[in-house]
Amino acid sequence: MSKIVVCRCEDVTLADLEHSVARGYHDIEEVKRYTGFGTGPCQGKECVAVVACALARLTGAAPATVPPFTSRPPLAPTPLRWFVRDPAAHRFADDRGDDADDGAAPATDEEA
Amino acid sequence: MEGGNVIDEHGPAGAPTLARAPLPPRAEYVVIGAGVMGLSIAYHLARRGVTDVVVIDRGYLAEGASGRNGGGIRQQWSTELNIRLMQQSVELCRRFAVELGVNVWFRQGGYLFLARTAAEVQRLERNIALQNRCGVATRMLDAGAAGDIVPELSLDGVVAAAYNPTDGILFPWPFLWGYARQAAALGVQLHTHTPVVRIDAGTTGYRVHTPRGEVVARRLICAAGAWTPEVARMIDVEVPTWPIRHEICSSEPLKPFLKPMVSELSSGLYCSQSMRGEIVGGVTVPGHGSTYSMASTLEFVATYARRLVRLMPRLGDVKILRQWAGPYDCSPDGNPILGAPPEHPDFYVACGFVGHGFMMAPVIGKLYADWLTGDAPHEIFQRSTLARFRDGAGAGDKEDFNIG
Amino acid sequence: MRAFEGESVAAALFASGTRVLARSLKYHRPRTFFCMSGHCSGCLVRADGVPNLRACQIPCRPGLEIQGQNAYPSPDFDILGAVDFFFAGGMDHHTLMTGSRLLNKVANKVVRQLSGLGTLPGHDDAVAPEVRSIEVDVCVIGAGPAGLAAAAAAARAGAHVLCLDEQLRAGGSLLTDPRHGVAAADAAVRDVHDAGAGLIAGACAIAFYPEDAAGGVLAVAAPDGLLRVRARRWVWASGGYPVNLLFGDNDRPGVMAARGVGRLLVQHRVLAGGRICVVEDPGVAAYAGALAAALHAAGAEVERVAADAVERVRGRSWVKAVQLRTGKKIDCDLVAVAAVPSPASEGPRQHGCAVTLDPPRGGFRVVVDDDGHTTVADVLACGDVTGHLGPDAAAAMGARVGAVAAAEACP
Repeated sequence: MSKIVVCRCEDVTLADLEHSVARGYHDIEEVKRYTGFGTGPCQGKECVAVVACALARLTGAAPATVPPFTSRPPLAPTPLRWFVRDPAAHRFADDRGDDADDGAAPATDEEA
Repeated sequence: MEGGNVIDEHGPAGAPTLARAPLPPRAEYVVIGAGVMGLSIAYHLARRGVTDVVVIDRGYLAEGASGRNGGGIRQQWSTELNIRLMQQSVELCRRFAVELGVNVWFRQGGYLFLARTAAEVQRLERNIALQNRCGVATRMLDAGAAGDIVPELSLDGVVAAAYNPTDGILFPWPFLWGYARQAAALGVQLHTHTPVVRIDAGTTGYRVHTPRGEVVARRLICAAGAWTPEVARMIDVEVPTWPIRHEICSSEPLKPFLKPMVSELSSGLYCSQSMRGEIVGGVTVPGHGSTYSMASTLEFVATYARRLVRLMPRLGDVKILRQWAGPYDCSPDGNPILGAPPEHPDFYVACGFVGHGFMMAPVIGKLYADWLTGDAPHEIFQRSTLARFRDGAGAGDKEDFNIG
Repeated sequence: MRAFEGESVAAALFASGTRVLARSLKYHRPRTFFCMSGHCSGCLVRADGVPNLRACQIPCRPGLEIQGQNAYPSPDFDILGAVDFFFAGGMDHHTLMTGSRLLNKVANKVVRQLSGLGTLPGHDDAVAPEVRSIEVDVCVIGAGPAGLAAAAAAARAGAHVLCLDEQLRAGGSLLTDPRHGVAAADAAVRDVHDAGAGLIAGACAIAFYPEDAAGGVLAVAAPDGLLRVRARRWVWASGGYPVNLLFGDNDRPGVMAARGVGRLLVQHRVLAGGRICVVEDPGVAAYAGALAAALHAAGAEVERVAADAVERVRGRSWVKAVQLRTGKKIDCDLVAVAAVPSPASEGPRQHGCAVTLDPPRGGFRVVVDDDGHTTVADVLACGDVTGHLGPDAAAAMGARVGAVAAAEACP
């Protein structure tokens, strides 16, 4: 017996989609949460369109009426350290001048 | 359409949980909001034999705060009432998977609150004394003992920590699926994508208007979370709560290493490792007003990264996979608002939980249903009236531990 | 292992015969290369102590240490692969073992131990790089045929232009297409430089944050640190993702995106298989034909089949054959899946641009007018992100849209 995989990050199969729809979860956001598709390292790049097309077929909906799920940042997995010195990071009372990098611009430069 | 050969311990899918039928003309109860609070109330009403209940929600299941929180469940609070309620909620969470037939992956790895100043230590000491009197085994640890529990911590500047091993985390969404599915099996109707656009108060009940039709409710329960003021205003009831955006993010999945939820008082930083292995957490981002905007910000993820990498340097190369936001439902005294206002005795609210409605919902839903079906009201309903903000009577103790 | 410096680890691993890299999260099915463009999760490895990095996005350098992940004892033979047999049709893990409290407690413990991909990084001294801010007239996201043409056109029209590309080497689909190739990509890149536009490769636009600055800020993970980009006009030329088609065991190692096979051949000069079966959607027949011819010319036996004729593939740790609905089996050591690329519209969606699901054009395409205007005033889009076009039409649209963006940014 073979599996038809729609989301390889989370091992979600076409049968899982059918199961979710049979449970009453039709909305692509509900299907995402129930099956877990689109929540892995690729965040849906490989699967959101494939799943949306499959849902349109399974529910009889016109493709143009099926929306994508909300696109959440970041669009690629990004290490925490990449953000550490961002000028927007809030400085708390115990955070002042304790890092070598605090010569960076103050927190609210963008609105100036 | 059947679920193929998917192995599901509940057997064939049976009736779908979410109704696609039109709204019924009347119902004993209409619950506005299919978040964990509304569904918990509906489920417990049905368990008590009241099944003429319709739950409506403006969006998809789990669109609001119930689908957006970090799944923390703790008994470390600063008021006796909250401690005792959460002791009951923890017990309900322990039984949830079996009682409702859905895994919530509740893991009691404890909660570790880190203090960096003498004032924070004092605050923890005061709370611990109260928690111990209530039977919660929280204890004060020195920095070294905190490091024994989480070896990845950088203890530089950490003075002490409060640790309760029976606090924990769970996966929030299955609570909604579990309540929804069991409530539906008992006869409750659930309608998603059904926003309330108008409510007419009449002598026979409340006529609730939606784009999918109307339903007349003898009693109306507003469990709309941060959107409660907007619903209440439709019948001229002013609810003094307001929404604050709270952001959160999740990392790539890692093999298990982090046992407790870790939180730092000075920044409101918190993080835990989910059952899937992701590091899920957030941080306080001060200086923003009330908003319904759920946009993600760079300010948040930068603040979170800065604090988390300082606290756990080994996470520097751990990657953020996604960030999102949800509304904290803030009340003037940090305590919830429950019950009905005098001028609308059949309009019940459940709001103002300041970001902790999820962990309270299992017990509040049960107590609410007990009360509505004839039991004497639990103490919390007397303390949490909307009227307290009108007559200045106050709700008693102010909860000051609304963090993490 | 020998490799060319700067070549991707994935290409070097592939050339040296490495096949299975890891096991999947739920069923522990073998995982390896699929898209070769940094989007799928197939080639996640541990590199120099950092988990879950995409091998196709790591440049080779001397001494780099690469390990497989999530398998006991090794990715090639993994005892937990048994899970895949027990749940042959799939499982609903939400209801699994909820029959009793004891059983549920066991389930919780077991699942926790099996969870996660990769272990925590070993070091605690990772450097936090500096964050830089840039303001430009026009920011072009993507340096494939559309983005390169847009950047060059916008710069020639006098705009201050920054073009970003997430791949190690700019060129996008040109580098996966034997009709174009490395020379064509390099010529287009040279043209961008000659026109005076800035171009950064290895720089991934990770998010558009609408509320962090007036007009919003684009966060970019560049090779040397985070960039905060602000622009008068945004041009999304992010192209499309290679995706899979739906047939049995379509996730087997050895089933690769045709564009991944194309990238190995065209950019890295690696022939991915000896007997290759191209499974194709009729919407990309021209590309599939060109790729098949090039693979054949490079020495492979190649057979093309229509996607809807395929029942499943055969083989466990590596594909052995494609089985058709007719029962016929095509023996092969590689399956190249040529599906219509799925428009990479996540970034435009974060800007608030409307998209629509258009299956023949690959998925959620950004809705644009003839000049590339999206439904958001300062955001334009061109190329495959507006629905699959192919390299030539994408480049033509890019040139047009780049000029429009420049005219609007610098009136």
